[in-house]
Amino acid sequence: MYAVEMEHVSKKFGDFIAVKDLSLKIPRGAMFGLLGPNGAGKTTSIRMMLDIIIPDEGKVVVLGKTLDETTKPKIGYLPEDRGLYPKMKVGEALEFFAEIKGVARSAAPKLLDRWLAKFELSDWKNKKVEQLSKGMQQKIQFIVTVVHDPDLIILDEPFSGLDPINTKLVKDIMLELRAEGKTIIFSTHRMEQVEMICDEICLINKGQAVLQGRLQDIKRQYGKNTILLDYEGTVGFLQGSPEIEKIDDYGRSAEIRLKDKADAQEVLKRLTGRVRVNKFEIQEPSLNTIFIEKVGRSEQ
Amino acid sequence: MRKIWTIIKREYLQHVRTKGFIIGTILGPILMIGIMVIPVLLMVGSGGEKSTLAVVDGTREIQADFAAKLSEFKMGDGSAKYVLVDIAPSADSPAQKKELGQRIMAGTYTGYIFIPADVLTGGTAEYASRHTSDFDGIKVLNQALNSVVVGKRLKTEGLDPSKIAEYTKPVRLDTIKVSEKGQERDTGGSFIVSYILVMILYMTMFFYGAMILRGVIEEKTNRVVEIVLSSLRPFQLMMGKILGIALVGLTQYTVWALFGFLSSKYGGSVIGAIAPSAKSSGLAIASIPPYVFIYFVVFFLLGFFLYATLYAAVGSAVNNEKEAQQLLFPVTMSLVIPILMMQYVMKSPNSSLSVILSLVPFFAPMLMLQRITIIMPPIAQVAGSIALMIITTIGMVWLTGKIYRVGILMYGKKPSLPEILKWVRYK
Repeated sequence: MYAVEMEHVSKKFGDFIAVKDLSLKIPRGAMFGLLGPNGAGKTTSIRMMLDIIIPDEGKVVVLGKTLDETTKPKIGYLPEDRGLYPKMKVGEALEFFAEIKGVARSAAPKLLDRWLAKFELSDWKNKKVEQLSKGMQQKIQFIVTVVHDPDLIILDEPFSGLDPINTKLVKDIMLELRAEGKTIIFSTHRMEQVEMICDEICLINKGQAVLQGRLQDIKRQYGKNTILLDYEGTVGFLQGSPEIEKIDDYGRSAEIRLKDKADAQEVLKRLTGRVRVNKFEIQEPSLNTIFIEKVGRSEQ
Repeated sequence: MRKIWTIIKREYLQHVRTKGFIIGTILGPILMIGIMVIPVLLMVGSGGEKSTLAVVDGTREIQADFAAKLSEFKMGDGSAKYVLVDIAPSADSPAQKKELGQRIMAGTYTGYIFIPADVLTGGTAEYASRHTSDFDGIKVLNQALNSVVVGKRLKTEGLDPSKIAEYTKPVRLDTIKVSEKGQERDTGGSFIVSYILVMILYMTMFFYGAMILRGVIEEKTNRVVEIVLSSLRPFQLMMGKILGIALVGLTQYTVWALFGFLSSKYGGSVIGAIAPSAKSSGLAIASIPPYVFIYFVVFFLLGFFLYATLYAAVGSAVNNEKEAQQLLFPVTMSLVIPILMMQYVMKSPNSSLSVILSLVPFFAPMLMLQRITIIMPPIAQVAGSIALMIITTIGMVWLTGKIYRVGILMYGKKPSLPEILKWVRYK
């Protein structure tokens, strides 16, 4: 059973092809990461899942059927470009959004109070939206997304603009929601978050899926051919070593990609005595590296 | 349907609660009444300034009668408005005028009136003052002088002086409006009513159109629209917004109509109580047949929906109000053309040009209403214009709905008109 199925979906805006023959299956209950560089077609794909825009070709099935008015209340959506009515009071704005999402008027106040308390925003209920800080507005927006208890939650860049404390808060709530059996789809550029919380990913570039599947499976394909190194000193001398394919040097840590069948121990030997090694771990490549590689390759 | 209702409710409450709306709704009519009433009260109440006039009477027989005529004019406190100083004419008129001019400059006299010796046979009198733009005041002097001179002339012809007023009585021409209700005197009321109603329609369409435009742009630039659209169709959002603002307009009209009703019912007697003389001065408020108001509401609603869809479509296509100006040009033009044609339609409401213009859906709200207020046109024409407007509005709702749906999610470069028309074909 899938939460979202897209079959050979294409969307053009004038001459610009935003999404091209994209097929996607997102299982129910998954924490699904939708990745891709800017302008890859993530937002267009999401908008098609939400029936905000209609695909030129292909089929989109959400929660088992083609979208209609009965499905919409079962979806929660946090758009990338956040927006609320600045002149409205927080409580009124939330009630408005809850109402268009089909929450009964009698049930709304209780639900809203619970969520406002969860985000520590109860004192702000009667303030105008424009009086809130940007971070608070983001949290209000998150409440708008989940207040009607949707089965499918689609978050476009949920962490952008949040400080570490609020990032953790939102992440914890996402995990809570998943534990309740909800399907969560989110798009992001931040690979470390994807790596930590996603079960499945789809990497989109230029409107096409270039990589798709369970995160573990994808990583396994690449094999343990990467050294994650924490060090003190400089590792520039490693450049050009016969067993090394590529180095991503971050100054105090580095990701070293080995050539086929090369032995990591050879690299360790080169390092000893020249730099202080704090961590030397043989791993699958990070999602970041895979991302850059995949997107870089399709650029050529 | 419940979702559209939620949109309507939000739209309505958000606008009705703003200070601007409350002030505009309540202060608007007070201001309008003020503008109409205050000048009347000022004119009637104060009686103007006191004048000291030097009268140089070349004939030596006019001055006394002239003074008697002017003594009828009193100041607010009952004292005479005109104080006349009789000055004997000298042989050297230019020198005398020059001297009087200096006295005026010095403030001794407000002005002088120079009546030449040949005034009874067609000579021209002169009035000199520092202040020559008080036309009503000058008219009073002129009329007084005129009646004295004409009286003298008739007397020299041997006519009975006591009957002079009768002989010289001007003919009054009363205007009578013939309608289904019979015949009634019209003191220019139907002109004023028609003008005011059409202008109100024109201004509110502009005003509420701009309100829709601003609302759509606001939702677009705030990016609220995306969340809303994940819950309902773009068409529902657009219609909800338009209906909500239509209700705002109707609310405002209802308050204004109440004011209008009260002031037409009691306004006259209030003014009459404050200044009895004003009542007779043509302020009688014309009686407006009730069907005019029904047509007014019908044409307001039809015109509003027609223009609202256009404003919504333009708002959806642009990123800010500045960008909207250019695209709004055709919309603004079709609102302004009927206003430019008003004078013509007023003069010949049943000419074929008037009939055609009043049938064009974009002009009909203003011009057909105007025709209705002047002479009730054949019912077929009224029905025709309403039918044409309904058809056009349905067509525009369909067309602009398609533009809105695409435009509302398009950011960045301002689209050209051909590009916008291309959106209509998008799936």
